[in-house]
Amino acid sequence: MAETPAADVHPPYLYPDYKSTRLRAPAQPLVRVAPSPLDTAGPTFPKHFVKDSEADLTTWGKSAPLGEKMVLVGRVLDEDGRPVRRSLVEVWQANASGKYPHPVDDHEAPLDPNFLGKGQVLTDDKGRYRIVTVKPGAYPWQNHAFGWRPAHIHFSLFGNAYAQRLITQMFFPGDPLLAIDPIFQSVPEAGRRLLIADLDLEHGVEGVALGYRFDMVLRGPRATPMGV
Amino acid sequence: MAKPTPSQTVGPFFARELLWGDGDKVLFPGQGDRITLTGRVFDGAGAPIFDALFETWQADAAGKIPSGGDGARPYGYGRVSTDTDGRYAIETVMPGSFRGPGSETYAPQISVTIFARGLLKAVQTRVFLAPLEAIKDDPLARAISDPDRLRTLIAARDPGDPKIYRWDVRLRGAGEAVFIEL
Ligand SMILES: [Fe+3]
Repeated sequence: MAETPAADVHPPYLYPDYKSTRLRAPAQPLVRVAPSPLDTAGPTFPKHFVKDSEADLTTWGKSAPLGEKMVLVGRVLDEDGRPVRRSLVEVWQANASGKYPHPVDDHEAPLDPNFLGKGQVLTDDKGRYRIVTVKPGAYPWQNHAFGWRPAHIHFSLFGNAYAQRLITQMFFPGDPLLAIDPIFQSVPEAGRRLLIADLDLEHGVEGVALGYRFDMVLRGPRATPMGV
Repeated sequence: MAKPTPSQTVGPFFARELLWGDGDKVLFPGQGDRITLTGRVFDGAGAPIFDALFETWQADAAGKIPSGGDGARPYGYGRVSTDTDGRYAIETVMPGSFRGPGSETYAPQISVTIFARGLLKAVQTRVFLAPLEAIKDDPLARAISDPDRLRTLIAARDPGDPKIYRWDVRLRGAGEAVFIEL
């Protein structure tokens, strides 16, 4: 059977440098099966499921959160370059100090009372989204000695069909920690660039927020036309 | 063709961000027999996975693929995390069987996607809410030749409470569930 392009960019399940994969990666090969009618449809998120305010992570508290304010824009497309319209994009991230508001996050960095780090937005008719946030901090983790995760924003996407469901992470250009991050490095070389945002100053706000751009591409099931 | 964006792990920190208060109650526009699908998720050493995001997507009681929602939530879709024992539970309706584009028959089933720390890509599968004898014509059941492997995808009806279907998921090793790719 011919390899799909996806095999070139997705990480493997087992990547021993990322220790948690050792006991959690399936050992058996995946069973290939035709998409079912469930896979070519997907959950519907009506317009009012998302409030406009949820695209701005900096207005959650009583005042502005600490950190480097940024505007993140991008498009969600399918492999043929068609926009993925009116589709749910969820984001979550650490605060500017690299801290999540989670009881199990034991990083000794301050919480920010004005930052929860959670947002969501629906793509528009051109597949575009826009999020306002602060740049997340790097944070240490216990995977290996002196391990620090590079700054990243988590993304969850539904696409227009359940077969397009994707959770990924966006990284920042020029981050030296990318070279020592096994989660990022688990992605084959051909795919790594696709996880790094571009500086896009014009989409920022003059004197207020840096602009970044991060486009995402969702695949569909093989040989199945995906409705957009 | 543009290359797809690579998958990355959901990580350990998602409970405050991705979980919904009523994500364990799957909604439908119509009626149906309410059932609970519950079980535990285990790793390759048999230890419970306490930080998995467990999502379900299914047809309604008549076998219709849901569209729309009740305003607050999409129909047919469930989202929970496992607890400290690796346990998940989804309250839903018994899905009907449905037909594919080539008129193949899909047995009553729920599509399941599991995300977790240590899973660089989600694992996806279909859990059957019908016994082995009743699913033989299902496209996935036909694609799995080994009955022992197929049994990893069959939820068992609780003998004490017929509304409860129990399904444990082993991600790796002995009794590893069958996972699919499209
Ligand atoms: Fe993170």
